[in-house]
Amino acid sequence: MNKFLQWFDERLPIVSLVKHSTTEYPAPKNLNYMWNFGSLALVALVVQILTGLFLTMHYKPDVGLAFDSVQHIMRDVNWGFLIRNMHAVGASFFFIVVYIHIGRGLYYGSYKSPREVLWWMGIVIFFLMMATAFMGYVLPWGQMSFWGATVITNLLSVIPFIGDEIVIWLWGGYSVDDPTLNRFFALHFLLPFLIVGVVILHLWALHHNKSNNPVGIDLTKKGDFVPFHPYYTVKDAFGLGVYLIPFTLMVFFAPDYLGHADNYIPADPLVTPAHIVPEWYFLPFYAILRAIPDKLLGVVAMIVAIAILFVLPWLDRSKVRSARFRPMYKVMFWTFIIDFFILGWVGAKPPEGDFITIGRVATAIYFAFFLALPFVSKIEKPKQLPTSI
Amino acid sequence: MKKFAALTLVWSMFVAVTFMALKAMFFPPHVDHGPHIEEQQWSTDGIRGNWDREQLLRGYKVATEVCMSCHSFKYISHRNLKNIGITEAKAKEMAEALDLGLNDPILSLLSPEDAKDSYGKEVPDLSVMTKARAKGPDYVYALLTHYVSSETFMTEYGKQIIAGDGQYLNKVFPGYRIAMPNPLSADLVEYEDGTEATVEQMAKDVTAFLTWTGDPLLVEKKRLGVIVFLYLVLFTFLCYKSYKAIWAKVKK
Ligand code: HEC
Ligand code: HEM
Repeated sequence: MNKFLQWFDERLPIVSLVKHSTTEYPAPKNLNYMWNFGSLALVALVVQILTGLFLTMHYKPDVGLAFDSVQHIMRDVNWGFLIRNMHAVGASFFFIVVYIHIGRGLYYGSYKSPREVLWWMGIVIFFLMMATAFMGYVLPWGQMSFWGATVITNLLSVIPFIGDEIVIWLWGGYSVDDPTLNRFFALHFLLPFLIVGVVILHLWALHHNKSNNPVGIDLTKKGDFVPFHPYYTVKDAFGLGVYLIPFTLMVFFAPDYLGHADNYIPADPLVTPAHIVPEWYFLPFYAILRAIPDKLLGVVAMIVAIAILFVLPWLDRSKVRSARFRPMYKVMFWTFIIDFFILGWVGAKPPEGDFITIGRVATAIYFAFFLALPFVSKIEKPKQLPTSI
Repeated sequence: MKKFAALTLVWSMFVAVTFMALKAMFFPPHVDHGPHIEEQQWSTDGIRGNWDREQLLRGYKVATEVCMSCHSFKYISHRNLKNIGITEAKAKEMAEALDLGLNDPILSLLSPEDAKDSYGKEVPDLSVMTKARAKGPDYVYALLTHYVSSETFMTEYGKQIIAGDGQYLNKVFPGYRIAMPNPLSADLVEYEDGTEATVEQMAKDVTAFLTWTGDPLLVEKKRLGVIVFLYLVLFTFLCYKSYKAIWAKVKK
């Protein structure tokens, strides 16, 4: 440390904090590429915040102006098409990264002691992300923005007794309208910064107990670790490159691919689109919602489907973390992943015929994963764990 | 062994549902996806796609002489034509021929309210039309070329659809009954470059023009995208080499 930094650090130890928790942070040396997705998620969040900030400088949250202002950004603002497409495609890629990140945690048992709180913070981030993306999608004020917002906010009307009042309060009127757009904009701006706060807690918890690793055993030897910099900075830079290539291809060549054509039609409360579908990243949970014939129970099931992750560390009784050594859990894990894809696929289908059956069975299997876990983790015979990596 | 029985049950459910899903994916149950829209070739297709300026100018002619009597192009002004290599003086001249300034949005003289009164339906702005339909330009082209008489419809579909007052039959419009009268007929416009103004030709040209109004920067984006892509490939390659070099010393 040079003299000035040292002087500064003795008064505010921020330099040593950064050093301690980034450059010198000891990371297990056996992490595989699945461990790239944490830093990628951070990059994705920063990209959303930066592009969002520049969008905000030109966007107008007014039902009469919102759609036009997005077109203005795409056509007239210097590099406007780039920031807008990066933001829209970035939201999808953020979800891809976070889904893989969560899947990594599930497979390698990263949610287990002593990382339960770290896991909780992750789930809180996931909830906040979903709220943010949902409100962000309303902002361009196309047909899907309007009708998606109408369908989803209406779900709250199932709350007994006060549901209708809550929905009116949320809308700021008797339908999704100008006040709704305004407050969604305010919240869409705010929530990512709350996410940043929770990310800090998430990383704090991580650095307190150190990273899990593919073998899943506690590492004690000094030789099991390498300093984060340069070993993981360079590996993460490589991962970032691999991430940015498909991201760029989408941004420049297929920015609308993951979106819906109807969102290029200005919102019209008098014309209901033929199919109202949420963004792809909500589809698995949307499928669960629709699988339950009762509206209230459907909403409850959809929320529980995610919230149940909070208690996962206690549903899983096995002391072994990594699925590599857990023959039965491994099968359950892959069953769950395939089932999740099936849910996502069926979530985009009209609720009719075979699709209903598929949706229901896939929902049952989704929950069966969690319900079976306490029993499976007790009867399962794990393979012999190695003593070091 | 009861526990195993429950697990086996869940698992067989899983196998069954996976099977059902795969079956539905590869042999979709017969659902009506609406009329078949044929894919067309567009000069902007593919990574190396480019504007066909002559075609855009023909499309501009159809758009301003035909469509504009009902539709607007509110996100486009004549200044934008500079981006396909039209000089400012020429663009100004073209604008003035329509009583417009260089920077004025291209609006129809028919106001949206009057349009609604006349046609009973909202007359949509056409600037982003090709992006606002799932099949994009292929759909717009098909729409303009698939008007039919009720007799032809009857013979082809074997069912009668009655077009009400102010309704016309179109084979690709959802529900078949559209409030837009068939806007195109042969030789409706006279192309300066001598191209024969068939219905297909005009439909193709005006649709290409709509692709341009929908995204005037489309071609620039493609060019830039290729450069950014190549840069990233190099960046990633260098990172990979550095990664391997730095990790070479770490014992497994
Ligand atoms: C006589 C007035 C009129 C003219 C001229 C006209 N349109 Fe239309 N157009 C309409 C009306 C009315 C609608 C609304 C139809 C409906 O929703 O049933 C419409 C709708 C459309 C649509 C949307 C169809 C859909 O899928 O909803 C397209 C695309 C379109 N017009 C293209 C054109 C093009 C291209 C031209 C010029 C070649 C043109 N129109 C000329 C009146 C007109
Ligand atoms: C967690 C991070 C974020 C996510 C997941 C997210 C997601 C989204 C999504 C899905 C859209 C709609 C895109 C479209 O189809 O047009 C959107 C729009 C928008 N967002 Fe965000 N966003 C995030 C952060 C931010 C931040 C931090 C800001 C402001 C500082 C912001 C400002 C905007 C604005 C102004 C729009 C409207 C313009 C448009 O629709 O393109 N966003 N956001």
